[in-house]
Amino acid sequence: MNSVGEACTELKREYDQCFNRWFAEKFLKGESAGDPCGQLFKRYQICVQKAIKEKDIPIEGLEFMGPSKGKTENSS
Amino acid sequence: HPWETVTTAAMQKYPNPMNPSVVGVDVLDRHIDASGKLHSHRLLSTEWGIPSIVKSLIGTCRTKTYVQEHSVVDPVKKTMELKSSNISFTNLVSVDERLVYKPHPHEPGKTILTQEAIISVKGVSLSSYLEGLMANTISSNANKGREALEWVINRLNAEIEEFTASARGTMRNSMAAAAFVEK
Repeated sequence: MNSVGEACTELKREYDQCFNRWFAEKFLKGESAGDPCGQLFKRYQICVQKAIKEKDIPIEGLEFMGPSKGKTENSS
Repeated sequence: HPWETVTTAAMQKYPNPMNPSVVGVDVLDRHIDASGKLHSHRLLSTEWGIPSIVKSLIGTCRTKTYVQEHSVVDPVKKTMELKSSNISFTNLVSVDERLVYKPHPHEPGKTILTQEAIISVKGVSLSSYLEGLMANTISSNANKGREALEWVINRLNAEIEEFTASARGTMRNSMAAAAFVEK
């Protein structure tokens, strides 16, 4: 399955493999502590966010969820 | 199939031959909330087989339509809920779908799916015709969805068998090699 950004497909595949294994072997069995896929996800995300902006896909606010939640920047 | 199998398959639903128009899936966000539920926000890209002459007129970038999907998996209560809505053509139509997978209350080892869709068409004249058409498509898609998951489950099982067979083969080879060395 491809990514919306063609350049991101390989990063996506690596992340997907990691996630699918963790999901079936750990998460569904109740061991959700520790996410081994964090790094892969971050790299994949950077690529996807860029592709979404480039293709002008109308996603509202979704890119602001996740790890950056709770960070507020005050600029004056 | 048991709930865990169905949920695992649902996370890997695409690609499958019943949904050939889905050409891209991306995870936009994923996190576990305070109550231990896994939230995923995904973007699905679909391509509807528009004739190439139309594509050459309007440009290939504009032939993709997008759907956003939010799923929540509760591993304790064993529920998976998927909500999706179109983000393309929202000025014309909005299709909101909700699917919930739970273990069957009476038959262990089976999963029950409830599915609903709300379609709204903006504008008046064609609305009842279009809504009827889409309602039919959505209910036949519901069957397709079940077939799609069946296909994914079979594929995952075949992968496991293949992996086990090759692992066995590797073990036999290394045992034979060890026996040879010992002589």
